[in-house]
Amino acid sequence: MNSLVLSLWAGNVFCDTLGQIAFKLAAIAPGNRDGMQYWLDLVRRPWLWVGVFAYVFEFLLWLAFLTLVPLSEGILLGSVNIIAVMVVGRFLFRERVTPLRLTGILLVAAGVVVVGAF
Amino acid sequence: MRRFYLIGFTLLMLFDTLGQCSFKLTGIRAAPPEFSVDWLIRIFTTPWVYVAIAGYIGAFFTWMTLLKRAPVGPAFAASHFEVVTVMVASIWLFGEAITLPRLAGAILIVSGIVCLALAEKQLATKHDAA
Repeated sequence: MNSLVLSLWAGNVFCDTLGQIAFKLAAIAPGNRDGMQYWLDLVRRPWLWVGVFAYVFEFLLWLAFLTLVPLSEGILLGSVNIIAVMVVGRFLFRERVTPLRLTGILLVAAGVVVVGAF
Repeated sequence: MRRFYLIGFTLLMLFDTLGQCSFKLTGIRAAPPEFSVDWLIRIFTTPWVYVAIAGYIGAFFTWMTLLKRAPVGPAFAASHFEVVTVMVASIWLFGEAITLPRLAGAILIVSGIVCLALAEKQLATKHDAA
């Protein structure tokens, strides 16, 4: 992997994680109401738009990344994102990483690699 | 809570799978891919592209509803069950092959989801006791 591939890869992991964290922050923003009004509140949350922008930008990075790397290797990236979101969720939202949760997340990440890479 | 997750993730998987399969159908209908206005016209005159967009919008609304309560780390991992549902749908719709690694990967993902579901059950029980 050269430095361009590596930075595209890092950018992709960053955008995916930022996108999920931003969506979570928008979803749990204080003052969000229930039912239909939840959606009206949501569009006014800056974090929602950070998330949307992160995903649009990630899509472009992903396209650039895939022009340089075969898809089967690219898929490996998806499983790193799973771990990254778990780690950030742990520290930012104090989500508990119980042994059972950790096992589940690692099994899913391994499964994504096996499906894509072989 | 259990019902909320069950309905939420089922809807999410339906929308995701519908979206991915419709994109594939759009691609097939609009083939050959080329950077031309003709190709774009072929894409946007295929009904499947609108089903795909609807699937993505449905998935977005479902995901934002789930995130109100679900922890993002485990939920994001669980959303990768999509890999399995799309695989099963492609075998059925597009005649894609079931290879041993794909089967093994699907089993790993499903085992992971079972662990995540058990983890939620365990945490909910502890919470009730406390």
